[in-house]
Amino acid sequence: MAARLTRLTQVLLILLGILSLRLVQLQVIQGARYSRLSDRNRIRKLVLPAPRGRILDRNGVLLADTRPSFTVAVVPTELTDSALPLLARMLDVPDSALREQLKPVAMFASAVNVKRDASFEEVARIEESSFRLPGVHIRVDPVRHYPAANRYCHVLGHIGEVSEDELARDTSLRPLDFVGRAGIEAQYESLLRGRDGSEYAEVDARGQEIGPLREKRLEPEVPGRDLVMTIDDRIQRLADELLVPYARAAVVGMETRTGAIVCLVSKPDFDPNIFMAPIDAATWDSLISNPSKPFYNRAVTSGYPPGSTMKPVVALGALRQGALYRDTRFQPCTGKYKYGNRIFKCSAAHGSLDLVGAIAQSCNIYFYQAGLRLGLDSLTTYAREVGLGRVTGIDMPGEKPGNIPTREWLDKRYGKNQWGAGSVLNFAIGQGEVTATPLQMAVLYGAIASGGRAVRPYLVARVDSAGRTIHTTQPEARQLPMRQQDIEVVKLGLERVVEWGTGAGARIKEIGIAGKTGTAQNPPRPDHAWFVGYAPTDEPEVVFAVLVENAGHGGAVSAPIAGQLIRAYFSPDEGTQPDSSPAEPNVRNGE
Amino acid sequence: MKRFDPGLIAATLLLASFGLLAIYSSGGSYYFFRQLIFVPVAIGAAVVAVFVPRRILYGLAEPIYGLAVLMLLAVLIAGTGPGSHRWFVLGPVYVQPSEFAKLATVLLLAKHLSIKRSVGFNFRDLATPLAVAFVPALLVMVEPDLSTSLIFAALLAAMLYWQGMRPLHILLLFSPALSFAAGFSLYTWIPYFLVLGIILLVRSGVRKALIGLGVSAGFGLLSPVVLGSLKDYQRARIMSFFAPWFDPHGISWNAIQSQIAIGSGRLIGKGFLQGSQKRLGFLPNRHTDFVFSSLGEELGLVGCLVLLGLFFWLLRRMLLAARQSNDSSGSLLCVGFAAIIGYQMFVNIGMLLGLLPITGITLPFISYGGSSLLLNFIMVGLVLNVVSRPE
Repeated sequence: MAARLTRLTQVLLILLGILSLRLVQLQVIQGARYSRLSDRNRIRKLVLPAPRGRILDRNGVLLADTRPSFTVAVVPTELTDSALPLLARMLDVPDSALREQLKPVAMFASAVNVKRDASFEEVARIEESSFRLPGVHIRVDPVRHYPAANRYCHVLGHIGEVSEDELARDTSLRPLDFVGRAGIEAQYESLLRGRDGSEYAEVDARGQEIGPLREKRLEPEVPGRDLVMTIDDRIQRLADELLVPYARAAVVGMETRTGAIVCLVSKPDFDPNIFMAPIDAATWDSLISNPSKPFYNRAVTSGYPPGSTMKPVVALGALRQGALYRDTRFQPCTGKYKYGNRIFKCSAAHGSLDLVGAIAQSCNIYFYQAGLRLGLDSLTTYAREVGLGRVTGIDMPGEKPGNIPTREWLDKRYGKNQWGAGSVLNFAIGQGEVTATPLQMAVLYGAIASGGRAVRPYLVARVDSAGRTIHTTQPEARQLPMRQQDIEVVKLGLERVVEWGTGAGARIKEIGIAGKTGTAQNPPRPDHAWFVGYAPTDEPEVVFAVLVENAGHGGAVSAPIAGQLIRAYFSPDEGTQPDSSPAEPNVRNGE
Repeated sequence: MKRFDPGLIAATLLLASFGLLAIYSSGGSYYFFRQLIFVPVAIGAAVVAVFVPRRILYGLAEPIYGLAVLMLLAVLIAGTGPGSHRWFVLGPVYVQPSEFAKLATVLLLAKHLSIKRSVGFNFRDLATPLAVAFVPALLVMVEPDLSTSLIFAALLAAMLYWQGMRPLHILLLFSPALSFAAGFSLYTWIPYFLVLGIILLVRSGVRKALIGLGVSAGFGLLSPVVLGSLKDYQRARIMSFFAPWFDPHGISWNAIQSQIAIGSGRLIGKGFLQGSQKRLGFLPNRHTDFVFSSLGEELGLVGCLVLLGLFFWLLRRMLLAARQSNDSSGSLLCVGFAAIIGYQMFVNIGMLLGLLPITGITLPFISYGGSSLLLNFIMVGLVLNVVSRPE
């Protein structure tokens, strides 16, 4: 009996010894490691997303901001049987559809997003019944919002989900982040993005946040910088409306002295907000299969033959070279010009014209002869010197330089000397292979308007951080090789264009406008209609370049658009009363 | 009353107090007060157990055992529980018939085994005790609750040993069952088979050894078949024992969280009510099966060793009571009860320390549960009965 007692006690002691040794192993030998695991269990790093910077027009009108988007997420393992039909009813989907959404998820997986961008009503309903909906969580994500939708799609661009490549290159990015994909959003990505903060929070075993952990350091988020644009929403809106009748068109408005862009519109357009939610296939297909390419910013990335808007460049080059004087008269215009064995045409039989008359009437015959006197090489060299064939340097990605068909370019394209001598004639009237963007033409005419000073166009006037301006863009300009007396002659011609010439359609009674029409051939389709003009004529402040594809004559289509934009630009009170205007009469009455 | 055992009473009350504190810390005041209500009930039952004449108890051993078996059958048909049939709901009280069956089995075994002076390794001596233990064990196993059903094997082994059976014979007797348990994985079965083979060859004849090994092999082959028929969660629990660090949010989540809780308690613990693992819900069933984990987290190695010391004290007093008793049935009762408490203590703490697979075994006197506390106190009461009232 005693022996058996001893044996059983020994067995008991062995068992207790095993447990004790294991306790020593876990709590003493590996204690530090388990303490660390326990802490990590308890504390989770939460990301505090930094709101992307806002974008405003020059008067503070909001063009892009960040709004909260609600996502309904379900942790399938926590969802009770009774909660599922209730949730389905609240989201207005059939039970079976919701069940299907949750089905493929493994038993221990975390939350499934069952509804993105839920409406405020849906969220409110779910929150009210949250006690009956275990496992249903509402997540708030910041989402980019463009209040003006289509109107700024090309200027602002849009944002899109970060790619694998970008994630690999930029360590500050996390999966599912959004980055700028075009326009200002892409150009100023580093300023707009801001820096995400982090916070340590206590969580339970399911990863549910219990609350912030005060004892630990908090890394605050740095919101993105706000950008104040040079754009005037009032002019942008008007330009947008004026282009509505046309399928494909572009308008650029710019301050001649600074290069600040006043408006920049390209048609067709799209709604950049569609990139924020999962895009439906039909919308996407219609956008990318649209032959007019709505993602194309025609003002900045499309080169068009400048047509007759090229003529002032020919005039300035010829004047500078002494190939031409103000009162030079060539062989009178009969409507036709024979060169070699080809006949080159003019729009009418203008008779004998001096330079000013030739600009005003946009006589091709005159400029054929001016071009021939100058020669192709001088012409192309001069065109490059005044900024054609190279980018303007606007603060926007994707700008194209257009094309100046130099001898080398033509040799390369057609073989050595295989191109016809008529190239110089085409070049002189801006047809054929010479192309320029509307933005380039605006900058060029702005330079003519301001004594040969070519500005660098820009879209962002200043950068604000938490209401404080941290950067203001300084205008940049360079002097083009233009003589003042030559500029005066050309400007006179440009004034005549609007006074009684081809650009009369731009004329408005309030302000003197100078400019040039252009009709760029686009065979076999109808011509592109150009007008580039500035105002006022005596002290020019603003220049507009208007291009409407396949719309016919520049004087008929584009000049009136420019005229209306200039009128609006110089009458700032029209239609720009702030929303608080009804209160103003009361204030006046009180005086 | 001839003798009295203040040590046993003190150990019991200290363990129960420990348990109440642990329940308060891990389950909150709700479970604390619910458990507190049971303490006077359990003490009352223990007092009755001290004074009830054992002769009456032995007389009722068969009806009590029969009732227990009926309850086990009933719970299979009408019971509720997490994925199984273990509980009766009687109003606010959850009754676990297996708790009652353990006691009834010990009582009936004590009555039968004490009739003979010693138990031989033969069919005549063993048929009745084996059947008495096997019926409830089988009924509990199909609930299914494998670890609880093994309690019946443990108490039978301890009582047979106490009654003079050779350890080698006990090993032979249980080798088929052990082979079955080890057979869930080749990594346990092969070492088990080798050790068994060596012991049998050294301690008994070749013929006996071959028979024993053959029977063992047969039962070992059964377990893969049974494994295939288990429910997923049960299979996962068994498998998680063999690879506990795999898939930390999956099947072995509980085992890992329990070890993190205990390990992070270190030498002196995080302090009473200060355990973060437990507070934040990392521990499942934290006031029942996992109560020792939060104890380990909050009281550290020191607290754990104190608790193990109390268990040693209690079990030692029970075994001493068995030796002091001058009637073999009484001493068998003490040994049977000690085996139950010792088995549950080792399996519960062992599983929380990652030594054994996670199963649904409670820690006597410490885990939350009314019927468990009641029957543990009754067992202590009966041991006191044996000590103080020799027959």
